Amino acid sequence: MKFSVFQISRRGGRGTNEDRMGYCYTRDAALFLLADGMGGHPEGEVAAQLALQVVSAAFQQETKTGIKDPRAFLASSILLAHRQILSYAASKNMLDTPRTTFVAALIQGDSVCWVHCGDSRLYMVRDGEMLARTRDHSYMEQRQDEVPPGAKTGDKTNRNVLFTCLGSPANPVFDVMGPINLQQSDRILLCSDGLWSALSDVEIVYDLGLKQVARAVPDLVDKALEKAGASSDNVTVIAMEWETPDGFEETRGSVTTDSINDGVFASTVQAGGVEGLVEDLDDEAIERSIAEINEAIRRTAARRNS
Amino acid sequence: MSKVKPAPLSPETQIGGYRVVRKVAAGGFGVVYLAIDPEGQQVAIKEYLPASLVARAPGELLPQVSTEKLSLYRLGLKSFFEEGRSLAQISHPSVVSVLNFFRENETVYMVMNYLEGASLQDFIITARDQKQQKVFRESTIRSLFDEILRGLRIVHQHKMLHLDIKPANIFITDDNRSVLIDFGAAREVLSKEGNFIRPMYTPGFAAPEMYRRDAAMGPWTDIYAIGACIYACMQGYPPNEAPQRLEKDRLTTALARLRGVYSDNLIEVVEWTMALDPLSRPQSVFALQKELSREGERRYTKLSMAEKMRLQFDTMVADTKKSVKSVTGAPAVRQK
Repeated sequence: MKFSVFQISRRGGRGTNEDRMGYCYTRDAALFLLADGMGGHPEGEVAAQLALQVVSAAFQQETKTGIKDPRAFLASSILLAHRQILSYAASKNMLDTPRTTFVAALIQGDSVCWVHCGDSRLYMVRDGEMLARTRDHSYMEQRQDEVPPGAKTGDKTNRNVLFTCLGSPANPVFDVMGPINLQQSDRILLCSDGLWSALSDVEIVYDLGLKQVARAVPDLVDKALEKAGASSDNVTVIAMEWETPDGFEETRGSVTTDSINDGVFASTVQAGGVEGLVEDLDDEAIERSIAEINEAIRRTAARRNS
Repeated sequence: MSKVKPAPLSPETQIGGYRVVRKVAAGGFGVVYLAIDPEGQQVAIKEYLPASLVARAPGELLPQVSTEKLSLYRLGLKSFFEEGRSLAQISHPSVVSVLNFFRENETVYMVMNYLEGASLQDFIITARDQKQQKVFRESTIRSLFDEILRGLRIVHQHKMLHLDIKPANIFITDDNRSVLIDFGAAREVLSKEGNFIRPMYTPGFAAPEMYRRDAAMGPWTDIYAIGACIYACMQGYPPNEAPQRLEKDRLTTALARLRGVYSDNLIEVVEWTMALDPLSRPQSVFALQKELSREGERRYTKLSMAEKMRLQFDTMVADTKKSVKSVTGAPAVRQK
C-alpha cells in the first residue's frame, strides 16, 4: 500500500479550535479521521478527541486479524465512539453532553469505505472530477435535495443546524459508503465545515485534482481563511493521494506500508489521556477471560477440598 | 429491540459435553438450563443470551447479533465474565458456586451446581396461605437471614453487588441450606452504558437509589433488599415500592401491626435496613449481622387500645385501594 498524505488544522476567528484530525495505518490498512467538536455544548474538543481515539483504537484492534467487513466495522465503531462520549459525560455528571461531527475513511487492500455523521465532509476526486461527496446531515442540505434543480436554494443562516451528531442523547444518524475501488492518483479529502462553507465544491475539487496533496491542502486552507475573513470558522483538512506501488510518479513524503512489518501500527492520533475508555473484547480477550475464570474455579475448588 | 425473545436451546442439545434437559429460567441476560454432565450429575447452565440484543430461531444453535448491537453485546459479555470471575473466587455454602465456564455456539456458558429445593418465595406463599398469625417464626427468620448474610458478606468483600435480592433469588435446598442465586454484576455494569439497557429492578425490594440514574449503589442497596425480604417473611407480602414510599410512607404503620407478634428488635431492624436514605441504613452487612444475631430476651410491646383504633381506621382508608400483590406476582420490570 502506498499513499501520500497531508493534514493541517488552523484556527479561524474563533477562540478555540475544537477540530481534531489524524490518520493511522498498518501494513494492509489505513484510516483517516476528522471530527469537529460542536460549540453550544460543553467540551466539544473532548468529544472530537474521544471519537478519534475510540475509532482508531478499534482499528488497531481489528486490523490484527484483518477487517472482515469494513462497512460493519465503520458502523459499529462510530456507535462505540458515540457511547463513549455519553459515558464520559455520565462519569463527569455533566448536565449537557459534549458533541461532535465525525467523518472517517478506511482503506483496506485497494478499496475505500467511509462513514460520516454531521456536516464534516469527504470528497473523492478522480481525474480532476468529483467522484463522490458525503451529504451533510443538516436541514439545509436535506432541503436542497428536495428542491428541483434551478430553484432557489436554502438560506445560509440555517447552515449550522444539524439534525444529528455523536454525543447527543438520541442515537446518531450516519451513512456508510463504499467499498469503492481505488485507482492510481485518486484523492480523498476530509474537511470540517470551515473549508466548504468558504469554498465551493468546484474550487475544492479543482485544487485537489490539480495539485499534489502536500500543496493542495495548505492552499485550500489559506483560501478558505482568506475568504471567510475575521469571522472564519476553524479550518481542518486531511487529504490523501492513492499511489499504486508500481506507479511511475514519485511523490515526496509518501507513505509506503509494504516495508513495515506485520503487527506494526502507526498513528498520529494521540492515545489515552481520557479516563474510562471501554475496550472492545476481541476473540483473544474472550479466550483469555474464560481461561482466567476456569483457573479461578480450579483454585477455589482446590481450596475447598484441602 | 427485537420483540421476539431468542429461543432457548431444545432439550437433548449437547453443549460443551453437557446434555440439556430443559430450560428452568430466563432473564434479561440469558437462559438457565438443567443439564447433565458427562458423569451423569445434574448441573445448571447459564447461557449468555441478552434478549434485547440477540435473535435465535427455535431449533437453532447460534444466536444472531446485528452489527449495530455488536459492541453492546460484547460489553454485556464483559459483565457476564465479571460475574463468572467473582463467583469463581467465592466458595461459600450460601452463594451459588461456579463449576465451569466455556465458549460454544458463538456465546459463553457458565456451569453452576444445580440446587434442588424451592425458593423462599414459594415458602412464603405456602406459609401465607395457612393464614396463621405469623408467616414464619422469628427464630426461623433470624437463622435464615444469618446464613444469607454470611454469603452476602463474602460477595461484598469481592467488590460485587447482587442488586436483585428478593425471595425468588433466595433458594432453600432440600438439605436445608439457603443459597443466594442469580447474580447480576452484569446489571450494574450495563446500566452505566446509558440509554440502551437499564438495570432490572423488582418493585418492593429495590432500594430508592435503583430508580435513579445518578445515585450511588453500594452494600446499602443490597441491605435494603434484605430488609424487604425479612418484611415479606413477616407480612407474607412485599413492602410498598420505594417511589410509593417516597410519596407516602406506610412502612411504620404496616410494621406496627406486627407488634406483639414479632419482637420489637426485629421490627426495628427492618425499619433500619429499609430507611429511604441510604446513609441511615446499616452501612455494611457486618453491622446488620451483629444486630440480627443479638441474643438476649426479646421484648414484645403490645399495641395500646388507642393505637389499635388508629390502625383500624388507617386500614379502612388504605384497604380501599389495597394492591394484593403476591410476592411472586412482582416480576422484575425494566425501568422506563
